[in-house]
Amino acid sequence: MSVILECTELTKKFASKIAVSGVNLKVERGQIVGLLGPNGSGKSTIIKLANGLLTPTRGNILIGGRKPGIETKKIVSYLPEKTYLNDWMRVHQIIELFSDFYDNFKPEKAYDMLKRLNINANDRLKTMSKGTKEKVQLILVMSREAELYLLDEPIGGVDPAARDYILATILSNYNENATVIISTHLISDIEKILDSVIFINQGQVVLTSTVDDIRDEKGKSVDGLFREVFKC
Amino acid sequence: MLSKLLKYEIKATGRIFLPLFLALLIFAGITRFISAVGPEKWATPAILSMIIYIIIMVGMFVMTFLMMIQRFYKNLLSDEGYLMLTLPTKPWKHITSKLLVSMLWMGVSVIVAMISILIIAFNKGDISDIAKGFTRFYHLVLEQLGASAYLMTFEIIIAILLSLASGILIVYASIALGHLFSPHRTLASFGAFIVLSTLTKIFFILVSFNGFSNIYFNISSINDLVGLQSTMQMVIGYGIIFTGIQCAAYFTVTNFILSKRLNLD
Repeated sequence: MSVILECTELTKKFASKIAVSGVNLKVERGQIVGLLGPNGSGKSTIIKLANGLLTPTRGNILIGGRKPGIETKKIVSYLPEKTYLNDWMRVHQIIELFSDFYDNFKPEKAYDMLKRLNINANDRLKTMSKGTKEKVQLILVMSREAELYLLDEPIGGVDPAARDYILATILSNYNENATVIISTHLISDIEKILDSVIFINQGQVVLTSTVDDIRDEKGKSVDGLFREVFKC
Repeated sequence: MLSKLLKYEIKATGRIFLPLFLALLIFAGITRFISAVGPEKWATPAILSMIIYIIIMVGMFVMTFLMMIQRFYKNLLSDEGYLMLTLPTKPWKHITSKLLVSMLWMGVSVIVAMISILIIAFNKGDISDIAKGFTRFYHLVLEQLGASAYLMTFEIIIAILLSLASGILIVYASIALGHLFSPHRTLASFGAFIVLSTLTKIFFILVSFNGFSNIYFNISSINDLVGLQSTMQMVIGYGIIFTGIQCAAYFTVTNFILSKRLNLD
């Protein structure tokens, strides 16, 4: 299997603190990976570095062997933890924007999912609740046929019923060559769809393992192991 | 990609500007109409609609300025930047699209303002007077300068467009530079603006010292319109080169920061 995401000695310092510190990481294609860690552990920072929204202080991050740039942006579908939608557009207009800029965006998929979640494509983003906006963003992101999906807290703000649908959507929408990296601290909810996990704490990787190994060798669930490793 | 960015930029800003332009023209019309009905009886409404007209006019120009800053800052360097800057396009295309659309609205604002003034002040026969004046001026210029009048007009237009662009790009560069100083970005942007304008002035003085001797030599030989013309052309030429360098420098700074030093919160 080839590597889709590779970090070497990746470091990011902000004015007063080190957010990511000397991370070495290889993620192979064709799996769903949980990027797990407590709040402020550096999960979002790594994902933003992968999208070129932050510049590394030291080290490298490569996607499919390339530094973040136009070619990587074409194959990466990114769900940020913020709402990036402006408030004056209607849902169908933002879908047009995605179709215009991304060759691998499938509008019919997006309309299909909107219907399932009872969101009207003519609604203005301004009038939507935070949770609905998050759903729209996730629909946009999952309607692309990308090689790497980077989902930062995809289920944080939505209700449990929508959570199940979203997880099912993630599972059914990616093909076997694609990779999904999900950052979250809501582990029990997503545990069942993960193939492997990366535990991260204070900007450093503390454990990488497949979920099967955790269950077989340690006899624990990912959630149980997480509670043990990050015990306060 | 640039054309798609331009399309979205025009959509995003047009929804603000088009109603403003329309409002300005409508109030120009209302003012005109009320004043025409009769000055004494309608004095108060006439003054009122005139005031509204002026407020809209001022608001329109303030808006072109605010919009220029807001579209760059909000759309690229705040939360919306998460979407815009992960689109598969080069940062220079984002800067160019925002620059061109800002220039477009500034230009259109001036034109709409002139039309509205015409609506208010227009009298029968004015148009033909204005047209006559223009033709006379045109013939006079053509007579004195010959074909180089066209060249000069072209140069002046280029000079105006370049100075407009440099005025916008210095703001972009300041905001981008401010972005490098994480906790105090707004303050840093103002600081960057002051530093950039000072540097530009110093650069201008240095350039003028070099160009000065040439121009001085020319001024001493002015004794007719043709002599004046060659000096003017020289001054405009220097202006174009100087402003062009300015634009290029501000653009390069902005582009470098957006592509190599980006750090979105």
